[in-house]
Amino acid sequence: MKQKVKSYSKMIFQLVRSLHTGPVCRAAESSLLAKLRKKTGYTIANCKKALEMHNNDTDKAEAWLNEQAQAMGWAKATKLAGRTALQGLVAVKFDKNHGALVELNCETDFVAKNDKFHKMIEDATLACFKFAHTHMQSKGPVTKMELDSEQLGNLASEGGKKLSETLALFIGSVGENAVLRRAECWKANSNDVKIAGYTHPAPTVAGDYSAGKYGALLAYKQANDHEDIGKQLCQHIVGCAPRKIGDKEADKPAKNTDDETCLIFQEYLLDPSYTVEEILQQNKVEVIDYVRFSCGESVEANMPGVEKQPLDTVQTMQ
Amino acid sequence: MSGRLIFRSIFNNYPNKLLLNRNFSPCSSVLVSIFNVNNKAFCTKTKAKVTEKKHCNIGTIGHVDHGKTTLTAAITKVLSKDGSARFVSYDEIDKAPEEKARGITINAAHVGYSTKNRHYAHTDCPGHADYIRNMISGASQMDAAILVVAANDGPMPQTREHLLLAKQVGIQYILVYINKADLVDNELLELVEIEMREMLTDFGYDGSRVPMICGSALKALNEDESEYGTPSIRKLLDAIDNYVPPIVRDLSSPFLMPIDNAFTVPGRGTVVVGTLKRGVMKKNDDAELMGFGFSIKTTLSDIQIFKKSVGEALAGDNVGVLLRGLKIRSVESGMLLCAAKSVQLSNHYKAKIYFLSRSEGGRKKPVFSKYSQQMFSGTWNIACRIDLEPTMDMMMPGDHGEVYLTLLEGMVMTQGQPFTIRENNVTVATGIITETLPSLDVPNGKLGKVVIKYENS
Repeated sequence: MKQKVKSYSKMIFQLVRSLHTGPVCRAAESSLLAKLRKKTGYTIANCKKALEMHNNDTDKAEAWLNEQAQAMGWAKATKLAGRTALQGLVAVKFDKNHGALVELNCETDFVAKNDKFHKMIEDATLACFKFAHTHMQSKGPVTKMELDSEQLGNLASEGGKKLSETLALFIGSVGENAVLRRAECWKANSNDVKIAGYTHPAPTVAGDYSAGKYGALLAYKQANDHEDIGKQLCQHIVGCAPRKIGDKEADKPAKNTDDETCLIFQEYLLDPSYTVEEILQQNKVEVIDYVRFSCGESVEANMPGVEKQPLDTVQTMQ
Repeated sequence: MSGRLIFRSIFNNYPNKLLLNRNFSPCSSVLVSIFNVNNKAFCTKTKAKVTEKKHCNIGTIGHVDHGKTTLTAAITKVLSKDGSARFVSYDEIDKAPEEKARGITINAAHVGYSTKNRHYAHTDCPGHADYIRNMISGASQMDAAILVVAANDGPMPQTREHLLLAKQVGIQYILVYINKADLVDNELLELVEIEMREMLTDFGYDGSRVPMICGSALKALNEDESEYGTPSIRKLLDAIDNYVPPIVRDLSSPFLMPIDNAFTVPGRGTVVVGTLKRGVMKKNDDAELMGFGFSIKTTLSDIQIFKKSVGEALAGDNVGVLLRGLKIRSVESGMLLCAAKSVQLSNHYKAKIYFLSRSEGGRKKPVFSKYSQQMFSGTWNIACRIDLEPTMDMMMPGDHGEVYLTLLEGMVMTQGQPFTIRENNVTVATGIITETLPSLDVPNGKLGKVVIKYENS
């Protein structure tokens, strides 16, 4: 009741104020401000400043705001740069011969659920996927490119802007530190090598793009007469986190099956009565390489003195 | 006993009677209120004061930089002057160490304070998953929330996610504190208010009725007495006192009492002991003893509170009930005593569950449908099978979500009842029941052979 009286009296005051003769009508101003804020989503204080600077011309104000957004985004990004950002998502996009796995971090999981975050990570993954298509080839069955934050930032996204710029805009709008942590871009060097990807949680409708808290990329060879189990193997990798593929000659199974770190000796997640090795044999699959990301796991600060590899050299496994 | 007692019963119980919604005829109301005094005199629940201070669980949600922690500290500062709270500084709240509740790591700061109307337990949860884990493990509930928005920024894109959490979790009462009001002019404040009201309405809250208070938590923390300082905090506390109604004990539903213990009284029969969860039980009521697949009809021959016979007991009372014609071997811990025909046994439930992460001592590998283990709740346990929603492939340790539970035998479980899942006596998951579903057939006592019917299929 008190609230109602208060709001009514406020409304009456506003009405009275709006009738006051002056160069610009107050009521008109505030509805312009409301419209500009609703349309652009920039902070109210900035919208007001924009209108004041451009004499209430909403189009000019909007243009100015868009220009400023980039600069303000950078300023905010610099200001927040030190803050821990361990929440976020891992996204994967793949087709038969190419795959991209990207990790984008932010400070709280509220932001990680937000649409703008989803758009940002989708942009980044698309950029990496494109990158996987265009670059040179290396020796060996798979060309693998590991990208760190800086290299990721330099990739071009859909609109032609660099990813680092879109990231700064994103930081400006949510006010939290966000980091393009790392990415892997893979390309199969021959037609019999296939690429598969998986994230957990998996989407209800399977597609070539998905995002979740964990993700994996797999490069493998499988004869076409057997059912493709690439996705299931990726699911196993996400669930059981093996450290390496394992070599039958060199490695031995661990004493406790729960602690097994070699992929081939682990119990197959989807059918624990077989080991992965047996499943691979049954389905005539050869695992060439895999990578697994778990959101927030790489906390190492940039090590000083380690040189970043320029984008035109590629990394392969020994 | 004495005229004084009768007088006291009438005068002291009048305000209580207005609060309690009971359908007793006026002539028996005096008698009842005398009994009430008896209960209150001997029951450990209410001590000297007849009106006990109510309790409310509240929390702050909002963007990290908008001032949630400052507001929490400011509230404790203002109330510490009144002597009803201990001042908790910003740093103490911000750097609150990770707590462990039932083995689960909780990242939340808990602060307590009281106004003249109520005690408040205040939680500040930094994350969505943190809040859900908090709720599932029973560490805290939120009855109301204060949404903190800075006036110079206005609502952020993730404010929608904050409101979504509030809605999902069932918070009915939201208040908005527009912080940093000293940095902007009135026009902006009005705009922020309008925007927030629209957003709240979008999420199903009554935007026009939500209390909005403008102020500066920082000013209040610095004991500034101007309009946006300490007075704004007092306005906020008043709004919370008035807007959030007291949580009333359910006295109108059919009674329900989980059984903690049972023993035989020679010459009289079997007595079961427990705390009445809801409703009112009266002597000679028809009741059913339900659990573990059994539903036994019986009558309440006698109700005793602290060894004194009474005619009735209310929700919250700890009672001993003599059951007619019941052998003690029919009673098992975990069974419930319910009003006749009020609840059904079921072995199929929907629940919210959290799987402990590896670092918390939980599983290492993910869980699939048809996962069968022992479920523990209160003092009893039973074999249980967990099935995931068809859309979920698997659940990793550290995940939370909705699952279907199928028990070996029919039980009565109430909404919000907590349970844990243990593998070889190690807790691997914790959860709460959200819904009771129709029973499923367990062929030959083999849980593995049960066929689950999903709700959406």
